[in-house]
Amino acid sequence: MRPGRIRLENWFRSKGWEPLRHQRETWEAYLAGESGLLHSPTGSGKTMAVWGGPLIEAAESRDEERALRVVWVTPLRALAADLAQGLQEAADGTGCGWRVELRTGDTPGSARARQMRSAPHALVTTPESLSLLLSYPESRKLFSGLRLVAVDEWHELLGSRRGVLTELALARLRALSPALRTWGLSATIGNLDEALEALGCGAAARIIRGDLRREIEVDALIPGEMERFPWAGHLGARLLPQVLQAVEEAGSCLIFTNTRAQAETWFRMMVEARPDLADRIGLHHGSLDRAGREEVERGLKEGRLKCVVCTSSLDLGVDFSPVERVLQIGSPRGVARLLQRAGRSGHDPARSSRITCVPTHAFELVETAAARDAVSEGAIEPRRPVRRPLDVLAQHLVTAALGGGFHAEEMYREVRSTRAYRDLPREDWEWTLDFVARGGKALRQYPEYRRLEETDGFYTVTDRRIAKMHRLSVGTIVSDAELVVRYAGGGKLGSVEESFVSRMRPGDRFVFAGRLLELVRVRDGEALVRRTGGSATAIPRWMGGRMPLSSELARAVRRRLEQARDGLYEGPEMEAVRPVLELQKSISKIPGSGELLIERLRSREGHHLFLYPFEGRLAHEGLAALLAYRISRLQSVTFTLAVNDYGIEMLSACEAPLDRALKEGLLTPERLDEDIAASLNCVEMARRQFREIARVAGLVFQGYPGSPKKLKQLQASSGLLYDVFARYDPDNLLLRQAREEVLDRQLERERMRQALERMERSTVTVLDLDRPSPLGFPLMVERLREKLSSEKLEERIRRMQVQFSTPRRRRKAA
Amino acid sequence: MRGAFALGVRGQELLLLPGKALWWPEQCALVIADPHLGKTAALRAARMPLPGGSTSEDLDRLSAMLDATGARRLIVLGDLLHAREGRAVRTLEAVSRWRERHHELEIILVRGNHDSRAGDPPVEWSIQCVDEPFALAPFRFRHTPDGNGGDGYWIAGHVHPAVLLRGPARLRERLPCFLFGPAGAILPSFGTLTGAALVRPREGERIFVTADGAVLEVR
Repeated sequence: MRPGRIRLENWFRSKGWEPLRHQRETWEAYLAGESGLLHSPTGSGKTMAVWGGPLIEAAESRDEERALRVVWVTPLRALAADLAQGLQEAADGTGCGWRVELRTGDTPGSARARQMRSAPHALVTTPESLSLLLSYPESRKLFSGLRLVAVDEWHELLGSRRGVLTELALARLRALSPALRTWGLSATIGNLDEALEALGCGAAARIIRGDLRREIEVDALIPGEMERFPWAGHLGARLLPQVLQAVEEAGSCLIFTNTRAQAETWFRMMVEARPDLADRIGLHHGSLDRAGREEVERGLKEGRLKCVVCTSSLDLGVDFSPVERVLQIGSPRGVARLLQRAGRSGHDPARSSRITCVPTHAFELVETAAARDAVSEGAIEPRRPVRRPLDVLAQHLVTAALGGGFHAEEMYREVRSTRAYRDLPREDWEWTLDFVARGGKALRQYPEYRRLEETDGFYTVTDRRIAKMHRLSVGTIVSDAELVVRYAGGGKLGSVEESFVSRMRPGDRFVFAGRLLELVRVRDGEALVRRTGGSATAIPRWMGGRMPLSSELARAVRRRLEQARDGLYEGPEMEAVRPVLELQKSISKIPGSGELLIERLRSREGHHLFLYPFEGRLAHEGLAALLAYRISRLQSVTFTLAVNDYGIEMLSACEAPLDRALKEGLLTPERLDEDIAASLNCVEMARRQFREIARVAGLVFQGYPGSPKKLKQLQASSGLLYDVFARYDPDNLLLRQAREEVLDRQLERERMRQALERMERSTVTVLDLDRPSPLGFPLMVERLREKLSSEKLEERIRRMQVQFSTPRRRRKAA
Repeated sequence: MRGAFALGVRGQELLLLPGKALWWPEQCALVIADPHLGKTAALRAARMPLPGGSTSEDLDRLSAMLDATGARRLIVLGDLLHAREGRAVRTLEAVSRWRERHHELEIILVRGNHDSRAGDPPVEWSIQCVDEPFALAPFRFRHTPDGNGGDGYWIAGHVHPAVLLRGPARLRERLPCFLFGPAGAILPSFGTLTGAALVRPREGERIFVTADGAVLEVR
């Protein structure tokens, strides 16, 4: 055995570990000069599998010069410190003398400067910090001796623009250090081949699967009185006593929620119901102050906390020993997420993991049963990589120009070596280069938009102001304007969206960080608060997409429903939900797989049409707009549209010509693109999407740190930006990108197409109801609505009324 | 006037125009609020690479209304220019050309909060700049709305008002509006890219919105 390997394995044994098969295999592959992707569940030793190879090399090399050898990219800044510590410990254990350092947004300037002068052997960083590093000319020398770039939690980056930013950075690193090996670390996902391709390490790269295979148990808390269990809702408060009992019985417990607001609510409810447990329950989500979050993580690690209510903030990484029990409030919406969360319990390979779903409404019992089916079939969702986003490319080109400059032709080849841009047409490339270099067609007349200088096809940046502004803007994470929440006495609690605070007045009460607070005043981008008693009036909501039910889970739900249609109720969840489904049968019917159910209902509000494609809320949003558009072409009508994961509601004041629409191709997948595009013009989504794109492409500068006020008058809303471009520069490719992204990512065009194809083949059953069915009811009470109209605005206005303000009612004393 | 809504206020006839302006025939005066000229130029100065064109479009719309009414006087209720940074050469030239076209027009600017930062318009434009209120009986023209006090009916801007309408089948519509109360009125913002803020009118206020080229009263 190689001497380096012996030292590494000795260290392993000193920790009481035995190298696992996938760890040995990865070391060998790395040492043979290979690149690849390693996938396995959390807690299976992926880090040491990838880190071992470079350590073996280092331990064997005598005259190891001081140079940067490994870059370790992690998506979560919060995890970087723990990770670096773990890597350092292993390096020390093999006695190779390597130094591991951090470089993230939190790294102080002095440390960064030192790293440039005297590089550590390994650098733990984020995609944004890596990209930033590439914007310095000195980075060329820094990266020239690089041996490995490892990308942690690759599945997490893959489906986002951050993944594309990483792809471009990897291509850059390979250009600077041609012998570089690339390894991705990933949870198991449905499209590992694409994940490997996106790492860009060539055809010879390989996929290694981790050993750990554990049984996963999925069950649900069954409501005691099913007759009184709601058909709609998202809170699940009714099961609070059962949740508290589960918490009490377990030694330690994690309660996952789907949103931050839901985590706040549950934490509050639990503490109010059991004040004696208040000190032993923690709250953890992404908007809380870091110090507070770390305190909770420590509390869980050290056993001071018995239970933590959290969001996806605890999905990834964070190294603490497994808890005894994991609960999930509401639907997990996807199999991969369910597995990830389940993996938080019982890390002991001998034991199984268990996750208990807490339904917030009746149909989530069906979802739990369906999730169990999907888990046992191994139907895990893919993470689809983003295709050639020009905003990220624009940003990268400025980065590369700053980092020493580039030749246009070489850069075009380099960019096309990534998966994201492998089919980037030359015209799009030239448009993007022209856009960053000269401001594009619409702005050529304004010299101040020449961000790049060109000499004989070589592009650089010389303007220091441009350099500074660009470096402050690197990255693809766009956050809403946020206000820091702080005690009037000093301590920081976290942050909430500005729009939430702007609706409040001093003296208003709200719940945040698990505490009941009163707004004292807003000053300099901070909301000053004090603790208060009584009851809260508000809980902040944070924007951010609600995850749709995944295709995999949706398919399993449809199957379970079909069984129920045939009278087959298998398992405790289906037994429990049986009365609701039987009621659905008696009022309407339960659709089978080859059947599309449309319900018609007349109520005080107007005429309702309910359709149930079961394709998840995103695809439903698109389908709703599409179907409403197609109907509205037959007759002048105005719809308000509501969707959930199961279906669509179209509501109108007069009856819509459904039968005629069905005859004339309502469900045809033909002309899908044109019709979606037309219906999309009627809704607002592209405007919203443009905000991110504009910011990433450098159209919007978010300001220098510490000077938010001065720029206030110059802040433009994204909607305004979209309008300006749509009117005065309609051929801008970034607009096209916004529309495409809305279609692909927000409306899931592919799922829409598949759904339409399925629906067209299905038997359509139209039923007229005299009261809402259990499936339809949740849609009726859904408040978020889009509008689609073929009526003139004037006609609509004639039916509408102004909301006059009523004198402010006195609030009830607590 | 096509699409206009005629209204009697303190014995005067006023016409609300779909181009978001107020026409006062007796004084031959056209009144607009919050044009925020040069807003995109100001954003450009902050290095947002925005294409131009909004200022000239707004000026064209204004010209069309001036021609149609034959106005001899234009009263601007504040925020003529958006920001000091927006005083770009192109913007100023566009306004100068527009001014030459309407050289006989008397223009009065009631200074608003943006004007105090952006500075008075160039002298060549010969715009008479006054601080609020500018009285022309029976009205007082202001930038900011002015409660119930004072003599005469006030007409102001500043708010960029929009109103929320609701209808059957959960229909909602948010539209810029004219707001006429018992003591004063607020005009919608004239500029295309100026945004709007939702107001909740009180009982007794009359609200007018623009739809399909006509001004309609909503209740």
